[in-house]
Amino acid sequence: MSAIIQIKNVTKEFKVLNRREGLKGSLKDLFSRDYKIVRAVDNISMDIEQGEIVGYLGPNGAGKSTTIKMMTGVLEPTSGEILVGGNIPYQNRAKNAQEIGVVFGQRSQLWWALPLIESFKLLKDIYQISDSDYKSMMHLYQSLVDIEPLLHKPVRQMSLGQRTLSDILAAFLHNPKIVFLDEPTIGLDVSMKSKIRILINALNKEKNTTVILTTHDMGDVDALCRRIVIIDKGKMLYNNDIEHLKGFFGSYRTLKIRMDGDLKQQAEVIQKELPDFSVSADEEWISVLVDEEKSKVMEVLNQLQKSHEIRDMQLEEISTEDVIKKIYEEGVE
Amino acid sequence: MKRKGLGFYLRIYGKILAQDLKSKMSYRADFIISTIGMIFTNIAGFVSFWILFRNFPSINGWSYHEMLFLYGFSLVSLTPVQCFFDNNWSLRMYVYSGDFIKYCFRPINLFFYYQSEVFDIKGLGQLAFGLGTLIYSWTKIGLGFTPLILLKRVVFLLTASLIMIALQNASAATCFWIQNSFYVMDLVLKFKDYARYPITIFSPVFRFIFTFIMPIAFIAYYPSLVILRPNEVPLLSWLSPLIGCLFFWISYKFWMFGAMKYSGTGS
Repeated sequence: MSAIIQIKNVTKEFKVLNRREGLKGSLKDLFSRDYKIVRAVDNISMDIEQGEIVGYLGPNGAGKSTTIKMMTGVLEPTSGEILVGGNIPYQNRAKNAQEIGVVFGQRSQLWWALPLIESFKLLKDIYQISDSDYKSMMHLYQSLVDIEPLLHKPVRQMSLGQRTLSDILAAFLHNPKIVFLDEPTIGLDVSMKSKIRILINALNKEKNTTVILTTHDMGDVDALCRRIVIIDKGKMLYNNDIEHLKGFFGSYRTLKIRMDGDLKQQAEVIQKELPDFSVSADEEWISVLVDEEKSKVMEVLNQLQKSHEIRDMQLEEISTEDVIKKIYEEGVE
Repeated sequence: MKRKGLGFYLRIYGKILAQDLKSKMSYRADFIISTIGMIFTNIAGFVSFWILFRNFPSINGWSYHEMLFLYGFSLVSLTPVQCFFDNNWSLRMYVYSGDFIKYCFRPINLFFYYQSEVFDIKGLGQLAFGLGTLIYSWTKIGLGFTPLILLKRVVFLLTASLIMIALQNASAATCFWIQNSFYVMDLVLKFKDYARYPITIFSPVFRFIFTFIMPIAFIAYYPSLVILRPNEVPLLSWLSPLIGCLFFWISYKFWMFGAMKYSGTGS
């Protein structure tokens, strides 16, 4: 079976006016034809299979939104090929729209003044959902979330969390093959975040919907994604399983120790003793990021115990967040 | 996927409209105040018109009642643009903030989907006022009510509406290229007031502009000639239904062209 989303050597360039500074500069800009080409997405290729949840990550301005816009048909790629469910999105926007669902975390697509149930009914007509499909979807929703109190509330009166939840439900309503979620948990409290993650997971399992998720919250990634794609400055840095990611920079673990005295000063001393590893200190702990390929954590601990009096210690596995941070900062060699 | 024809769109529009009205009624104060506002706007427009005619019994051979006819005609023909296409006024805000992108993901016509979101109920007050003026001047002039004249009336009212809609679409769509289309829309709105006067009172330059560039003469003047001056109807009057459709089609294409070019802001 071929992949539901196929992206081949896709590049997107924008023409941007070179802006000058100051008032005089703005006046000159009025008449200027001094454009530069900015490459927002640079030769990206990937295949995504039906039913996958893929985390699409990258720092701000990396080209994530541009890629999503190309997949949803809002933007046309400068070069390369995109096939979404067999369609070329830009050329067949309406047909593509029938098979995808889109949620932008901050921007509700529901009718602002209408109660949710009325929005659902309108979507039922717009997407031409059959009565039986609609009913079974509503049954599924009722079994997954406490939807009753939302149904008769105008979207305008909802909290951000309720609105995001509603937007996600609306995006899945016509049982699309693919759902794009752009920062769905942005600005939400911890319990709402977890509710939304559970919902996305359940809908993905139940309907085998492909989910493309962009987020800056590594909690989302850990809870949902089996595979992640990282891009920065338009280039793809990583495209593989999440397990794979942790071993990506060798096997790192963080050794945390507590000592008497000023931790900042102590940390500087330890840094000199352990030039291979990065040492930092906060209010309570001194952290040593140990690369286990160079030496084992226990050896480091032994060595430290010889010269310092250690009162307490902790061992932390490197988190997804740390790895991603390292990738953003250092790139991939 | 079934084909989406006119019936499909009418059904969807009907449902959105019903819901929209329901929710509007729930803001009673807002509803009453805006209705009162609309009534006063119309009265003020009428009073300035009336004062003008207290001083000049006729303009360029057009009597008071004939001018009143033109006035009522322009009010009625402005109703559809006010009721159905009022969301054009918000377009620049949606485009500027990037919220316009939310309209791009539905499997229905983008222009329809965008315009269907708002129904401006204030237009109905204007319609009532315009119809009243029209019927009053009609009986005063003594035009009679034959089926043919009624048919002409309806056809030319539709024509005039189409042209007004076209003007507004086109001016609103400029926001896809320039930051603030408000000035363009406002300019068009102001010019539209000239539609109430017979075009012959303007200089040839403006006559040309109002006929071919910003075709406001088609909003009331050319269509009214068919009924008021049946003996001196220029060819342009008979062509105006066609021109109305053409202008509407062009403005729709222009609007859609801008919308397809739209790429949103970063997030």
